[in-house]
Amino acid sequence: MPEPSAGHAVELNDVFFSYGSTRILSGVNLKVGYGEAIAIMGRSGVGKTTLLKIIAGILKPEKGYVRVLGCITNTGCFNSLRGRIAYIPQNLGLVEGESALYNVLLAKAPSKPLRFMAGLWGRDDLSEALEALRMVGLDGKAKSRVDRLSGGERQRVAIARAILQRAEILLADEPVSNLDLDTAEDIAKLMVGLKSKGLTIIAVMHDKWLTSKYFDKIYLLDGGILREAV
Amino acid sequence: MRLIMIMLVITLILSYPLGLIDIGVWAKVGVNIAKFLPELGVRWDLVGDALIASYETLIISLLGVSGGTLIAYILAPLASPLIVPPRVALVGRMTANAIRTVPAILWAILFVILVGPGPKAGALALIIYTSGYLAKFFYESLEAISREHYDSLRVIGLRGLPLAFALYSHAKRYIISNVLFMLEYNVRTATILGFVGAGGIGYYIMNYLGMLNYQATLTFVIFTLLLVVAIDLVSYIARLRV
Ligand SMILES: Nc1ncnc2c1ncn2[C@@H]1O[C@H](COP(=O)(O)OP(=O)(O)OP(=O)(O)O)[C@@H](O)[C@H]1O
Ligand SMILES: [Mg+2]
Repeated sequence: MPEPSAGHAVELNDVFFSYGSTRILSGVNLKVGYGEAIAIMGRSGVGKTTLLKIIAGILKPEKGYVRVLGCITNTGCFNSLRGRIAYIPQNLGLVEGESALYNVLLAKAPSKPLRFMAGLWGRDDLSEALEALRMVGLDGKAKSRVDRLSGGERQRVAIARAILQRAEILLADEPVSNLDLDTAEDIAKLMVGLKSKGLTIIAVMHDKWLTSKYFDKIYLLDGGILREAV
Repeated sequence: MRLIMIMLVITLILSYPLGLIDIGVWAKVGVNIAKFLPELGVRWDLVGDALIASYETLIISLLGVSGGTLIAYILAPLASPLIVPPRVALVGRMTANAIRTVPAILWAILFVILVGPGPKAGALALIIYTSGYLAKFFYESLEAISREHYDSLRVIGLRGLPLAFALYSHAKRYIISNVLFMLEYNVRTATILGFVGAGGIGYYIMNYLGMLNYQATLTFVIFTLLLVVAIDLVSYIARLRV
């Protein structure tokens, strides 16, 4: 297991990124401490999703480097981290038509591929998954198909998956954007509450009030540069 | 519509040299129908044979679907650049396409030669053909899944076959629909496979037809139709349920 280095869970150093000839990020720097919850804000199209994907190792920086849990992205060290990072995309990445339980158990698929492929989970796997669902307040909905759940409930399923995964970094892209204010606050509280389990949280957010109430730091992405908002 | 005009012209131009536009041909059709109709009837003594032959055809078709689906489930990920390196995917894709290029009846002839005549050859032919056909549908279904879904599964740490299985679950309806399509296809094809000795009801149809025994032929044809209708019905109900 790679050693946590320099006391930062996530570190971006002078990161550049372009889609073709369109520059999106031009020198992004960021340091996120272990157990911190930070929010990234910015206008639509500035590159917030892109930035999150770079941290998740889905996209490669064109210049500069990203270090997550002590590993530079796109290296062998980073590839061995898989599973310690959870990425909740804007569409949540849930398997529609399958149950909440199935979706949460996906977190265990990499470590128990045969059980996953056969659909034969052990008693301990099931009870852990149900426990994760209970922690997000969905114990009664384990068997419900996710496409029949409300927006807030779907978000909770995605969070429960991250919990079961025992992820150390949670990357969430606009986790509360399509929710009513009360539900949004519940979800934000739930997510940031995971700090107590040692999670480091990076979320793309829009609501200023909610963000300043729950997150430790707020960063603004503008003109390809990230700066801390005050 | 222009398409309809084009088809009309093609139909007229091509059917003339075949002799289809000829009153004499159609008159002969009428005469033949008049001659055969009174001879038609069902040979009740052959119903037992027909039932056994239908059952054999059903088994061949089902085995074709189950075995073919299993192989395709493994072959499709090997043909998808989302799961394996692009070069491997290219080989996998070429394999699936090569299997599909050979019609089921030619596979049947090959297996009749390899394992001898009978339902064994028919079942093997349909397993192979179905696997090639479904592999294409399956790898296309893997590719149709949104990038975001794919990314979030990769970040969880999924790779290889388990990743493919997770992607499959996104495409469940599409996959089931194609498996059912292959079932419908296989029942029809399994009938024909008997013509080359690969078992099932087609063997009887060909033999009785060869003996110009129309009543016996009709008996087996009726059972073929019943089987096809029954499978289509099962498939229809299954589709409503997914
Ligand atoms: N795969 C891609 N290829 C080319 N351009 C892209 C691609 N993905 C995103 N872009 C462009 O890059 C810019 C940044 O996209 P990104 O999705 O990161 O923005 P965002 O800040 O998340 O916006 P939003 O708040 O609307 O989600 C946009 O102009 C977008 O059109
Ligand atoms: Mg975005």
